[in-house]
This record gives sequence, structure tokens and C-alpha cells, in this order.
Amino acid sequence: MIKKIVVPVVCLFISVCFLSCEKQPLPIFGQRQVVTREENGKQVNDTVYHTIAPFTFTDQDGKTITNETFKGKVYVADFFFTSCRTICPIMKTQMLRVYQEIQNDPEVLLLSHSIDPEYDTVELLHDFAARLDVKSEKWHFATGQPKEYVFDLAQKSYFATAMEDKTEPDGFIHSGAFLLIDRLGRIRGKYDGTKEDDVDRLMKDIKQLERE
Amino acid sequence: MSNRNGTIWISGSILIFLITVFGCSSNTGKPDTSSVKFTQYVVRGEELYQKHCSNCHQKNGSGLGLVYPPLNTSDYMDKNFEKVLCLMKYGLKEEITVNGKNFVQPMPGVVTLTDLEVAEIATYIYNSWDHNRGIVDVTEASRVIKNCATADQ
Ligand code: HEC
Repeated sequence: MIKKIVVPVVCLFISVCFLSCEKQPLPIFGQRQVVTREENGKQVNDTVYHTIAPFTFTDQDGKTITNETFKGKVYVADFFFTSCRTICPIMKTQMLRVYQEIQNDPEVLLLSHSIDPEYDTVELLHDFAARLDVKSEKWHFATGQPKEYVFDLAQKSYFATAMEDKTEPDGFIHSGAFLLIDRLGRIRGKYDGTKEDDVDRLMKDIKQLERE
Repeated sequence: MSNRNGTIWISGSILIFLITVFGCSSNTGKPDTSSVKFTQYVVRGEELYQKHCSNCHQKNGSGLGLVYPPLNTSDYMDKNFEKVLCLMKYGLKEEITVNGKNFVQPMPGVVTLTDLEVAEIATYIYNSWDHNRGIVDVTEASRVIKNCATADQ
């Protein structure tokens, strides 16, 4: 009697599980435009997505890094500064977890932008990265541009908040977001870098994005 | 009926357990950690620690790499009790060595902490993880804080 109920229920449960495994593709953030072009005399519609604008920074080794450095790679970006005492220490703890997960994966990179580039010099970031014991070619710490440049990139390209505010305890307002960027420079996910379970979700999404 | 018996039996054994555990500790030479006051200090101290300190030093006191030093095991804490009370309030900006490793990142203090709050956090961190110093009482904290060298921060 019991078997009669249990067996079908278990089967159903298992099949539901399998069905839900068939994952939805990750969303593509931002405005999209449809552009019409001609190909062999026919009208073809292309969708143009929002991408990260071209940028140039100096990393903790004094090397120049640009979009080209990240081209064809999946990467995670965030905004922080070393002297921040509010959310950045938690963000760095969480980013370090991501680092440990992906450190041997050649397809994934990390990019942390300092929003206090005057204080966070190349030397300071070099020391910071060394103290986290992370490799420069895997986790780039970006500085070397005026802060307005960083704020602008954060806002317009990454849809992340970063600005100066002298009334804040640290002198800046910034979001603790981690942004997942795909091989084509499109934003595919936004996560709260201060929440462990949201960062777990990010690590899963990285895997999924790599399979795309 | 049997359920009720079970409950009585369980509560009874818990009571006996508590009496045994706490009854013993009060007569030994170990720090007094059984009083209500101690428990209050630890509970409040933990809340304050989560609010003001765990961002950097982590909930489990492990710190972060060589950026934020550990508190769970720290010879610095063992050797510099008075300095530790001061640095909570006034911060620390010097090169220090913790368990043989050097740290240079400045630590911002929380100037608004009262003497009682410093005592509560101290009681928490000095009786968690590897530490069992016993209560850090508010009168002791006040005496130490009065003598903090605030100029070096
Ligand atoms: C913004 C990050 C940050 C916060 C918040 C913070 N600390 Fe620290 N702490 C540090 C750093 C960095 C050092 C090393 C300072 C130095 O080298 O001058 C340090 C050093 C210490 C030390 C001495 C070294 C050791 O590991 O034993 C103790 C004890 C300590 N902190 C306790 C606390 C307590 C208690 C709080 C909360 C009231 C707190 N810290 C809040 C970053 C922080």
C-alpha cells in the first residue's frame, strides 16, 4: 500500500529535479538596440547589447590593463579602496573565496577598481595583493586614473554606484556589488559582495557562463 | 503521558548537568566565568564585536591574509592587554607582529565606544577561540582607557 504511493511520488520528484536542472541562460543587463543591416540584398536585424566601455588602468604590478586584457574571458569586477573600513573588508573576504574557486581556471579573471586612486598607489596595491597572497595575472587591482574616471566607468558601464561623499564614514558611497562580465564585455549578473549566499550564486553562474 | 515523563526526565538531567558544571567551576582557581555578569558581558560583547570588528577580523576571529590580523590566536593580544583596550577606541597605526607575521594596515578606532562597551568587547574576545582570560570588568577598562596614549593614533 505504502509502496503504491511512495514509488510514483519519488519518481515524480526525481523528474522534477531533472527538469529544473535545465537552466535558464543568464540575463543580459542594460539597454539593447536592434540594428538593421543588409546582407546579400536581404535585411538582417542584429541586437546590439550594452557593453563595458573601453578603459585603461595600471595594475598592482605597474602594468597597463585595458579591455583587451579581459577580452574573451569571463571576469568579475568590483569597486573598493584599501582604507575602507565598512563593507570593503567583507567584499575582499568574499572575493578571496571567488579567487580560491577560480585560481586555476584560465578562462576567469578578477578586476578590483580602487575608487581612491590617490591613496591606493601601485605600490600600496602591490603590497595589498601580496598580503592577500593572490597572483597579479589572475586578480588585477586597478588604479592610475583620476577618481572621476573610475566613478564614471562604475556608473555608466557597470551600473554600480561609486562617488565621493564627505559625510559618509569613509568619505565615499559605493555599492558592494560584484559584476559578472561575459566574454563579449556584457554584464550578465549582479551580486551583493557582502553576502555569502549571493557570492555562492555568483560562483555557480561563473560556471554556467563558461559553458555558454 | 510517556511524552510528559520524557520532558521531565530531560529537563532533570539538564539541570543536574548545569549544577555539576557550574557548581564545580566556582571553587577552582580558574577565572570566574559562571556569573550572570560574565554572561551578560560576553553576549553584549559579541553583538558589539559583530557590529564593529568582524568586518575585518571575521566572525571567527581568523582575520584576512596578512591584511587584517587574527584574534582567535594572537600572541599580540596575550602580551599587550592594555594596548588592545586602547586600540579599540583609538585605533592603531604602527607596524605590529602577530604570531611572527607583520601587519601594517592602519586600524581605525571606534571613538564612540563607552568604557563599558570596551570592557564587554574585551571580555568577548579574551574569552573566545583560544583565550580564557575571564571577565574584563568596566572599572578595569576605565582605568586602562584613562591612560591610553591617544597621541600616537
Ligand atoms: C577596518 C578594519 C578593522 C576593524 C573594523 C577593526 N580592526 Fe582590529 N585591526 C585591524 C588592523 C589592520 C590591525 C593591525 C593594525 C596595525 O598594524 O597598526 C588591527 C589590529 C588589531 C589587534 C591587535 C593585533 C591582533 O591581531 O591581536 C586587535 C586585538 C584588534 N585589532 C581588535 C579589534 C577589535 C576588538 C575591533 C572592534 C572594536 C577591531 N579590531 C576592529 C583592522 C581592523
